Amino acid sequence: MSLEMTMSQPLSRETRGFPDYELPRLVRLADNLHGAAFFLMKLLPARHMLDRAAADGRLKPGGTICETTSGTFGLALAMLAAVRGYKLILVSDPAIDEHLHKRLLELGVTLEIVEKPYEVGGFQTARLDRLRAALEANPGSFCPSQYGNADNPRAYAEVAEQIAERLGHVDCLVGTVGSGGSMSGIARFLRHLNPDLHVIGVDTPNSVVFGQPDGKRLLRGLGNSLVPPNVDHRQFDEIHWVGAAEAFLATRRLHQHHALYQGGTSGAAYLVADWWARTHPDRKVMTLFPDEGHRYVASIYNDDWLAALPGWTGLLPEAPQPVAHPSDVRSSWSSYRWDRRTLDEVLAAANPVARDLAEAA
Amino acid sequence: MPGDVISRFASVRLGTRGNQRKERGFGRVNGHHGEILQGIFPDDAGRLHRGLVTLPCDIVSSTAVFRPAPGILVTVPDDKLKAAEAARLTLDSLGLHDQGGHLTVESTIPVGLGMGSSTADVVAAIRAVADAHGATLGADEVARLAVRAETASDSIMHGDLAILFAQREGIVLEHLGPALPPLEVLSVNTAPGTGVDTVKQPPADYDDWEVQAFRPLRGMLRRAIRTGDAALLGRVATASARISQRHLPKPAFEEINAIAASAGALGIQVAHSGTVVGLLFDPRNPATTRRIAEAAARLEAFGLPPAFHFRTDAAEVRHVA
Repeated sequence: MSLEMTMSQPLSRETRGFPDYELPRLVRLADNLHGAAFFLMKLLPARHMLDRAAADGRLKPGGTICETTSGTFGLALAMLAAVRGYKLILVSDPAIDEHLHKRLLELGVTLEIVEKPYEVGGFQTARLDRLRAALEANPGSFCPSQYGNADNPRAYAEVAEQIAERLGHVDCLVGTVGSGGSMSGIARFLRHLNPDLHVIGVDTPNSVVFGQPDGKRLLRGLGNSLVPPNVDHRQFDEIHWVGAAEAFLATRRLHQHHALYQGGTSGAAYLVADWWARTHPDRKVMTLFPDEGHRYVASIYNDDWLAALPGWTGLLPEAPQPVAHPSDVRSSWSSYRWDRRTLDEVLAAANPVARDLAEAA
Repeated sequence: MPGDVISRFASVRLGTRGNQRKERGFGRVNGHHGEILQGIFPDDAGRLHRGLVTLPCDIVSSTAVFRPAPGILVTVPDDKLKAAEAARLTLDSLGLHDQGGHLTVESTIPVGLGMGSSTADVVAAIRAVADAHGATLGADEVARLAVRAETASDSIMHGDLAILFAQREGIVLEHLGPALPPLEVLSVNTAPGTGVDTVKQPPADYDDWEVQAFRPLRGMLRRAIRTGDAALLGRVATASARISQRHLPKPAFEEINAIAASAGALGIQVAHSGTVVGLLFDPRNPATTRRIAEAAARLEAFGLPPAFHFRTDAAEVRHVA
């Protein structure tokens, strides 16, 4: 859509939404550490993607939206569909949270649960097949595809605006990476004002986003089994991989020390941001807390559930273990100098440890 | 319609017009040095507008004198067509459709550099005509007349007020503060002897990312003005200049930027529809005099000798020797 067309579109605010729920509340955690605590971060990109699709005709009034998700993006779409009068079909799998499932049904969502994983490709491929079928069965329906839709990262200009207006200059941005929208989006916008911005992405072991092999992950809401096109790897100076137990413990510490009741991804971001802020006391750090803790009452905020986790020690590492290559990441907190390279560049660089071992043999 | 508003406003004064008519009316307005920020911005209702934040420059100005007379309107020099059009629109808005007169416009603002020469002539003419008839037009009314005369106007009719101004509508999108934080500006003309026809130039066709990227620039600008932070202002100006570089590229942009950075400037700003670039310094910093001399020497060695430097908070100009 051309700029002149965009400028002549009807106003987005004529459509119902949750503008005051979209932006985070900013909280100072230390002299040089600020957190942006979201109610539900995905509301902002979901609304922006729907606005843009409605403006250029991809989404008709009263039209149908189809998406595959088992997380908070589905909830955000469901809230917007409910107040804007869209029909919403969400494809998910049996791992979907029981309470989220009920909430989506109450909001009028048609929920299609894929019961069995494919032998090759698992639930991910099975869900994508079901999504394709839903799109074909509903001609003219709109698929937001948060992993590839460029309106996802672009939506976060409003968060960058809030950070720039409230904090002015920021030296370091820390946040978890899942779809790539929030971190790639905010990093690029803020770096336009500060080319020296240090950007730290937080991933989790067994996520392929920053070069780990795919595997089972207990920590949800960050990481991925595929590499979303919206992840702009060249924005990142540093990558950390945080394990589930550490993230959950840090989530509890964020509540105990700062009275912020947030979800597990917030804990992972807090662990890394707090460490970087402590080791760089003269630099201003901004970190993102994507959702609130209410969905995790029975898990992260339940001591018995935590104690039953495999490998639970109840101890939080003081610092990450630096690794020479993403393939060296083990199950606990690791860090790697990404240096604003593409994923291919990083993976093509030989693992120095493996190289040394090969040479020794 | 803006014109209706002006007509209604003017009709209030019509009864006293005859008593207040003078033999001569005067109008004067300062030029500017391009913009701190220019792009696309949502208004309070969310609708997008083209908008800009001007960097005032009070060492150049336009002056107009208007002598009312019955019949035709004569303008000197006769190539100041937009100033003549503005004078005609102002007479009409005052209900003086049969009135003519003699308009003289003089300006020290160089043409084609993006320093507001056209709008300054227009605004000076509007003020002179209004003054000759005892009318004092508010800045918003002057802005609407100016936009009608020349399609897009700079915000110089608002003086030093820091505003986000919709240049094609003549309206204020946001009042940012009483003034920008003070700056010392080293002026470079990147294309001496060429110039840009600011009116014929099509408006920049920003892409979807750029349209969104103006939001954080506006956010940082608000903080820069609220806290008087010239360094933040320099960041905003540099970021806006970088986007402008994709639409109306300045020759030697990267070289000038590098010289600015190495001389300790806060950043650079550009005339988004012109050829001048300003290296921005903090006048409150005692090192600024030395830094400006360094930057001027490096620019001269590069082949782009700066023309002058000025402070935004004082009527002061120092020509670079």
